[in-house]
Amino acid sequence: MTSSTLRVSHVTKRYGKGITEINAVRDVSLSVAPGEIVLIMGPSGSGKTTLLSMLGAILKPTEGEIRLNGDVISAFAEDHLPEIRLRQFGFIFQDFNLLSALTILENVAIVAELAGMKRNFARKKGIDLLNGLGLGERLYFHPRKLSGGEKQRVAIARALINDPALILADEPTANLDSKIGHEIMKLLRNIAKEQNRSVIIVSHDQRIKDIADRILWLEDGQFKEMMSMAIDPICGMSVEREKAPATLEHEGATYYFCAKGCRDEFADNLKKNGVVGSMIF
Amino acid sequence: MIRLAFHNLFQNKIRFIISVGGVALAMTLILSLDAVFTGVERQITAYIDNSGADIFVSQKSVRNMHMTTSSMSRSVITDVEEIPGIEKVTPILYLTNMVVSGKERNLAYIIGLPENAPMGGPWKLFEGRSYPRTGETIIDRNIAQKSKIGIGDDVEILGRKFKVVGLSEETTNLVNSVAFISISDFIKLWGNSNSISYLLIKINPEKSSSDIAAQIEANVKNVTAQVTADFSSQERRVVKDMSTEVITMMNFIGFLIGLAVMALTVYTSTLAHRSEYGVLKALGAHNKHLYQTVISYSLLSVLIGLALGIMITFLLSIILTYLRLNLTLAISGVSLLKVSSASLVIAAISAILPIKQIAGLDPAMVFRGK
Amino acid sequence: MFLAHRNLIQNKTRLLLSVGGVSLAIMLILLLNGFLAGMNRQITSYIDNSTGSLIIAQKGVDNLLGATSLLSVNALEDVKKVNGVNDVVPILSQFVIFDLRGKKLPAYLIGYDPNQGGGPWKIREGREPMTDTEMVFDDVLAKRNDLQIGDKFEILGQDFTIVGLSENTTSWMTSFFFIRISAAKKLLRNPGAISFLLITPEKNIETGNLLKNLNRISGINAITKNEIADNDIRLFAKVFSAPIKLMVFISFLVGTMIVGLIIYTATVERQREYGVLKAIGAANQILYKVVITQAFVTSLIGALLSILLAFSVGNWIMAIRPQFLILFDPLDVLWAILAGVGMALFAAFIPTRVLAKLAPAEVFQK
Repeated sequence: MTSSTLRVSHVTKRYGKGITEINAVRDVSLSVAPGEIVLIMGPSGSGKTTLLSMLGAILKPTEGEIRLNGDVISAFAEDHLPEIRLRQFGFIFQDFNLLSALTILENVAIVAELAGMKRNFARKKGIDLLNGLGLGERLYFHPRKLSGGEKQRVAIARALINDPALILADEPTANLDSKIGHEIMKLLRNIAKEQNRSVIIVSHDQRIKDIADRILWLEDGQFKEMMSMAIDPICGMSVEREKAPATLEHEGATYYFCAKGCRDEFADNLKKNGVVGSMIF
Repeated sequence: MIRLAFHNLFQNKIRFIISVGGVALAMTLILSLDAVFTGVERQITAYIDNSGADIFVSQKSVRNMHMTTSSMSRSVITDVEEIPGIEKVTPILYLTNMVVSGKERNLAYIIGLPENAPMGGPWKLFEGRSYPRTGETIIDRNIAQKSKIGIGDDVEILGRKFKVVGLSEETTNLVNSVAFISISDFIKLWGNSNSISYLLIKINPEKSSSDIAAQIEANVKNVTAQVTADFSSQERRVVKDMSTEVITMMNFIGFLIGLAVMALTVYTSTLAHRSEYGVLKALGAHNKHLYQTVISYSLLSVLIGLALGIMITFLLSIILTYLRLNLTLAISGVSLLKVSSASLVIAAISAILPIKQIAGLDPAMVFRGK
Repeated sequence: MFLAHRNLIQNKTRLLLSVGGVSLAIMLILLLNGFLAGMNRQITSYIDNSTGSLIIAQKGVDNLLGATSLLSVNALEDVKKVNGVNDVVPILSQFVIFDLRGKKLPAYLIGYDPNQGGGPWKIREGREPMTDTEMVFDDVLAKRNDLQIGDKFEILGQDFTIVGLSENTTSWMTSFFFIRISAAKKLLRNPGAISFLLITPEKNIETGNLLKNLNRISGINAITKNEIADNDIRLFAKVFSAPIKLMVFISFLVGTMIVGLIIYTATVERQREYGVLKAIGAANQILYKVVITQAFVTSLIGALLSILLAFSVGNWIMAIRPQFLILFDPLDVLWAILAGVGMALFAAFIPTRVLAKLAPAEVFQK
């Protein structure tokens, strides 16, 4: 048990009171081992962002406990949290969130400087990291001159510079095309495995499932069994088997659909081509 | 974080120009107005400082020359001459009148000089003769240039024609110049031969001028005797006292303008970088780091604006000397100190609102796509 | 424009800042102009309120306050003889410096004959001087310096008793004080001296002709009061007018910058929303209208507020510093509103450039 980097026990986040009360996350528990890559998926509004904010020590849970390397970070005082975020977590965002006025080297080094590293060391470390990520030629570029993939690699460098125990990535591939997105995720996986860092990724992106060690499904603020989930063969959406609005049996297999429209399309394809086709992935 | 402030400052050109330009404008305003009056203060005592006298004697309770009048009985001359330690006494007549040439009229101190006066005449001559005889005058070179006249031409002073025989330098200021005529002409025009305006006194260099001034006041009735330096400082105080409140008011306005521009640009800059401050917060930057950035930003732009303002004022003062507008800008240390502290106050106040804005920033916004 | 108003109201701090900035700028313009107008009124208050419509000065002298004018002894008699002259009032005047509580104050001392006129136009308390050791003092300055009727005050080494307090004679550089002309002659040690003659022409006399006839007398300069007032204003304006006008200009610039910057930020921030509007088919003109309306409403509210502000701040300044006079011309107020409109138009310029360049396709990126 103590070997987990992150241990989340019975965490709940409630907003509002009385009639307006909303349970964004309810009674979630989770353990992440060192070097493990966990992908959390789920529909919009399922509580992914709230959970991620709590995991990242940006938001405090209403109930429950979050431990990082044994420390109960959910109990830390508010003004102690930035320090935790700075030294223990690396963040990667959907919009990259690089500082537009700074060069990419400065973007990376500034986080180390915030953590108290001397400027020269921070730059040296930043240069090494960026070199390792293939951005050695771009050190003094401003973010607006970079492609999306390059920006996200800068963000990875920034997330790594303080040697965090845990990297939190929020929709890291949302603004990238599928090839680049996949490359970036493979890069992240290699880093996690080589350096034994845990990674939690929150994403809708089915294409990065293969890089994850474990996939969790979050819906209505709770983790659901991934086993009970099926993929709609037409639109690619995840569908809960028991609650699927439409199903179809074909040659002994059951297909689950997000809506009747998808099922009809599937049936049409079967008639026309006689094969299970037109799957989008 | 200071570097981030620096980068943010230069990132948006329009905002940079407005903030730095606004402060520079406001500071130039304060500085140049101060400098105008400091300049006038210096120019206005030119005659007194260069008269060559150690002591000025005037009508009782008259302590300066500008915007005033002094008249004493001629008997004062002999009374003063009897006091030991006095080497030379030069009586002058003085009033403010016009030097007229055609349509050109210029306000001037008219000084009536005795023949061979050892003091009180023009101290720097551009051309011609330094003492006027009957029917002659020495006027300022700039006034002559402005009126397009030279030596040998006529001008009208106190309603009578005088022939220009000399052109003096350093005898103009923003308001008036100095013209010299002979004391006998002055008496004729003044219509009163028993009166003089001031006595210029040269003392034995071994004696103390303040002692002798005190002796003059003790022994001669109805006069005020002041050491030249005191007389000169009284003259400066006339300008100072008259302008202090106007300057204070204008300074305050300049300050408000600078503050308005700076507060606004720091605020909008912070607003524009709001999401980035949110990212930094999420990454683990403390509020104090972000405050540091905002304060550096406001301090940096104020300081650049200030430096620019000082430069513009210095440039202006140099340009003005070439334009011969009789307007000198004299930038004093006090004035520099004043604008510098005003700038610091502006920088501090401007940072207040943005700091409150940042304090209220929720780092969780980074996950919500802003 | 519905959208413009919504955009404006959405961010309260920003609206407050921009309206505040504009009203501050226009208030400054109003106050500075009011100050200039007040200064001019103060400078010319003696000329405006004294008897007569023409003034005789020494030849070459064309102002009241700048130069010491000296008329020849026979000038008075010569002028009286000119056809069309109804009344001639001689005065002997001279600037002197008063030491009031250690502060130097320039004072314009007027020697006049109470039987002929040329003295104070409004005495609040007391009477005109009857002997050569009596004077009329300015009421505001008297109050500030704890001087009352019956108190002694020294001028050029001689003591005078204050017997009257005059109104509307205060100024920060040209306060007027009155003694008898005979006292002034003694003080200046010049028994025959006269500085100016105040002339009232007979009715139905053409001023131009009268001036021509008067100017035939040698050694004098006859001009209208208006002219002499203009010259006095110009003399003092040399020092103060330029900096004040510069400030008015800078205030306008600052106001424009403030509205401009805020509308600019507001526009840039909503760039995406404007992009959406463009994408769904809104023409540039409509977007411009939104931005211009925002700038316009901000400036107008600011301008209206500034009038209120200027009046109260002006009254406050005059209450604590009575030597300053701030006059608001209705025309100035109109100008202030126009300045506000001007600011709005200038300020909307850059944001409209931003909108013009906006590509509607931007909506689909990101």
